[in-house]
Amino acid sequence: MNEELIDPEKLRALEAKVAGLPRAIHPPDVWNEIREKIERDSITPIGRSTASPAIRFWQKPGFMLAATVLLIASTSVTTMIALRGDSAARDSASVASARPAAMPASFLQFAAKENNYIQTANRLQAIVESEGSTLSPETVAKLKKSIAVIDAAILEAREALAADPANRDLIEILSSSYDKKLDLLRRSAAMGRS
Amino acid sequence: MKMWMIAAALLFGAASAGAQAKVEKGMKLEKTASFRIYSLAGTVRIIGWNRDSLHVRGSIARGDEFHMGGSPSGAKMFVENADERNPGEAVIEVFAPVRSRIWVKTATGSVTVSDFLGGLDIYTVSGAINVTGSPDDMNAEAIDGNIRISGSPRFVRAKSASGRVEFNGNCDDATLSTVSGGVTVERGVFERARFESVTGPIRFAGAISSGGSAVFDTHSGITDIAMAKNADVDISLVTIAGKISNALTSSRPIPGRYGRGGELTTTSGDGGAQLVAKSFKGNITLKTVK
Repeated sequence: MNEELIDPEKLRALEAKVAGLPRAIHPPDVWNEIREKIERDSITPIGRSTASPAIRFWQKPGFMLAATVLLIASTSVTTMIALRGDSAARDSASVASARPAAMPASFLQFAAKENNYIQTANRLQAIVESEGSTLSPETVAKLKKSIAVIDAAILEAREALAADPANRDLIEILSSSYDKKLDLLRRSAAMGRS
Repeated sequence: MKMWMIAAALLFGAASAGAQAKVEKGMKLEKTASFRIYSLAGTVRIIGWNRDSLHVRGSIARGDEFHMGGSPSGAKMFVENADERNPGEAVIEVFAPVRSRIWVKTATGSVTVSDFLGGLDIYTVSGAINVTGSPDDMNAEAIDGNIRISGSPRFVRAKSASGRVEFNGNCDDATLSTVSGGVTVERGVFERARFESVTGPIRFAGAISSGGSAVFDTHSGITDIAMAKNADVDISLVTIAGKISNALTSSRPIPGRYGRGGELTTTSGDGGAQLVAKSFKGNITLKTVK
């Protein structure tokens, strides 16, 4: 700062005014209100009993902790499966051409497709067993036997996949069983049309 | 006693003959026209011939009615049964232009095709399907009927549920499928092929053309693949809980995860064609053809 520009008289007057100011400002009304609001909205620490009956089950610390752990775990597993799926897809590029185009390549893709499989199968089965179908009861009985064979295969592969969700071969085998079931039901529904 | 038996036999024969009514009808049909046949029970026999006409002959149960009509570009015939729940058996023989397109639907009736080069669509519940010759393309479907093809169709889809599917011949594009029946390929060269079952065995003794591919897919059926020694094939076998045996190449399968199942990736000859076999718990065997 250039000392030639400072007016000594004005500086002394300013210092006198500053010296007259209080060391701290305490607006008591405002702080009390803030304090009350903080205390009203505070979360009850874990283990301390609370008098408030308004806490929902999902607000309970145990639930929130479990949800957090589950979220972290599922995110990690999803990422791992996605990465392994991509890697496996690259490794087996040489045999990919033999796989039907619609075959899901990863557990995520399969899981998304499984609901469709089940819904379509239920719809087709209802058509085959409907009164409008011309298939005889004997034929429907034979058909149900074959469907039961495929369902048993699906169940077996599904259980194996639950234990090993990143196994692409299992995904293909299971998808193939679902495809066979849909194909048989479609053919039977078509045969049942007069 | 002997006289009684002869008399009874004669009486039964006469009654049987009396229970059938003869049918015979012909019409002009273009060489590539389509013809539809609907006959629930009995037999349907289709024979290709080098004429631009159609000739149908046979017999139907007394009380049933035979209908046939259409134009030279497309026609159909059907047997109307007096009792659809318990249809009488009809014996139908159709001489059709060798390159026409034939559609057949039966319930318990068997279907036989010979000397035919056109297109076939055959649907049956429990009847047997037997095709001899080389139709250009064919689609054969059954619920529990067996399907047998002896010939070399360019394109074939043959599917049964509890019936067997048997093939003997060459094919550019084949899908042979069953649930609990078996799939058997006795011989032949395939360009693109898919053989599948759920619990039924798959037996293959054939070849894959250069650059071609074959996929074997089953849940618990055995997969038995026999090929010529040094056939040029890249092979990939996987089973989740089954066993792999390899007598075609010197490679040994590696155990699968958790000590169950196995995988084998190997090349026979110079490779080129692709063979992929997958099963959940069915054993896979690779061997040389005898």
